[in-house]
Amino acid sequence: MIEQAKVPPSLQPLIHASKVNKVFPNGCHALKDVSLEVLRGQVVVIIGPSGSGKSTFLRTLNQLEPITSGQIVLDQVDLTDKHTDINIVRKEVGMVFQSFNLFPHKTALGNVMLAPMKVLKQSKAEAQKTAESLLQRVGLADRMDNYPSRLSGGQQQRVAIARSLAMKPKALLFDEPTSALDPEMVGEVLDVMKGLAHGGMTMVVVTHEMGFAREVADRVVFMEDGELVLEETPERFFHSDHPRLQRFLGQVL
Amino acid sequence: MQTQSSRWLGHGLYLVIMAVLISGVYFAGQKIDYTWHWERLWPYVINTESQDIVAVTDGTAVVDKSGRLSIQPDYGDDPQIIDVYDTLVSRDGDLIFQGDTIARIDGWRFGPIAEGLWVTIKISFISLIFAVLLGVMFGLMRVAHGQVWRNLAMTYVEVIRGTPLLVQIFIVYFFIGTVFDLDRFTAGVAALSIFTGAYVAEIVRAGIQSVPVGQMEAARSLGMNYVQAMAYVIMPQAIKRTLPPLAGQFINLIKDSSLVSVISITDLTKAGREVVSGSFAPFEVWFTVAILYLVVTGGLSLLIQRLEKRLSASD
Repeated sequence: MIEQAKVPPSLQPLIHASKVNKVFPNGCHALKDVSLEVLRGQVVVIIGPSGSGKSTFLRTLNQLEPITSGQIVLDQVDLTDKHTDINIVRKEVGMVFQSFNLFPHKTALGNVMLAPMKVLKQSKAEAQKTAESLLQRVGLADRMDNYPSRLSGGQQQRVAIARSLAMKPKALLFDEPTSALDPEMVGEVLDVMKGLAHGGMTMVVVTHEMGFAREVADRVVFMEDGELVLEETPERFFHSDHPRLQRFLGQVL
Repeated sequence: MQTQSSRWLGHGLYLVIMAVLISGVYFAGQKIDYTWHWERLWPYVINTESQDIVAVTDGTAVVDKSGRLSIQPDYGDDPQIIDVYDTLVSRDGDLIFQGDTIARIDGWRFGPIAEGLWVTIKISFISLIFAVLLGVMFGLMRVAHGQVWRNLAMTYVEVIRGTPLLVQIFIVYFFIGTVFDLDRFTAGVAALSIFTGAYVAEIVRAGIQSVPVGQMEAARSLGMNYVQAMAYVIMPQAIKRTLPPLAGQFINLIKDSSLVSVISITDLTKAGREVVSGSFAPFEVWFTVAILYLVVTGGLSLLIQRLEKRLSASD
């Protein structure tokens, strides 16, 4: 990012993806020249039909999905450079999954404490203190000792968010965090996410929750067929007369 | 849903069928021309006959006031002192020759069957530990990213699973044992652990692959490296899932250990064969040997069930 060298780091984009291409081994061209910039503290919501590549793109941002060509720079670290230690990058970018992926053999508290203890080498007491306050923050102070199997979907997803936050990430990636939830639990998870957004967390969210996009997002991105079709502020996005977006919104709303 | 009464009916019916079967075996045993001598078996399990204490040199017996027996040798060596005995055979001042019985000690010691049982438990337990180590190592290699690891592990599993254990024992003892100068016990342990390790590797591989992909992704996205993710997230879950098939494999290991008797390790089976020729009570011996195997395998099975229960706390 030579052209940005004179800009102070705090004003540079935290996440900078440029011309990202992903071709799966079976020949499927999942991402076609996708570029996106996310500034510090911004919330970017990605919407699009299933199979549009939005989840794949999100997963490239912490290299869970290696890319075929292009460049992804995260806080001035080039993820696509093969000399970059990807584990160091990953602990600075949290990820929340559609299916929660809590560790079933650990309690809620244990789930949140594991990575800080093993990766950040925190002491047990220190990790526990952080974990307790995070679980309190997501409204689960009374469920800390429960195993995931004893928690509802909404509670599990909130534990998953607390687990990501325990690593003190610079940004959080959400991969359809409410899609696997019963309708009555969607609200509790979205509330936690709104709280994070208002607290200044940088977030990239793949979701079908248009209300969330309208209310919280700084920018909304529409993807289709592996292409980034449209990127706008929420007001302009939802009033856009782009034909492909219109067709999609007509199907989901 | 089963009702309570039909469950009890089932238990009752089971007991009746078992009673019929067992009495059938009993009457069949009565009908054949064979005299049962269960009592002959006891000395081979636990020997309660008193043991002789033998003099090690020529000398003179000395019994002091406290009753302590010692043999004062003729030629200036240190005296042989016997502190613990139950019956005195020699008297104070007796002339003793090397090999004479000077006292007897009561109590019991293990007979060949009990010693064979101990060898079986020992060889199974040591082999089990090595089999688990080999199995986990090769199981991890089977799911590793490097093709060379996967090929190596596959070769190990296929070669070992594709050849009979008896042949492997012969090869390990006569060929590898000769090359590396192994004693029979080590050769037996090596053959059993290599054999069982191949099956454990397949069980471990299946266990790891049964853990959802999302678990690895979640662990990696928290910044854990592959080894940490395996150690703290994948393996703890995989082990829980593999316990039932592992229990079966460990029970097989205990039973397979009977094959090491072909390289003259006196395990429970070989002890049985020896006792048959000494006691002339083959039926009793083989029934006893079978029951002892059942006790060991049953104990292990019970142990693993309890472990499973403890690990299921998170279900």
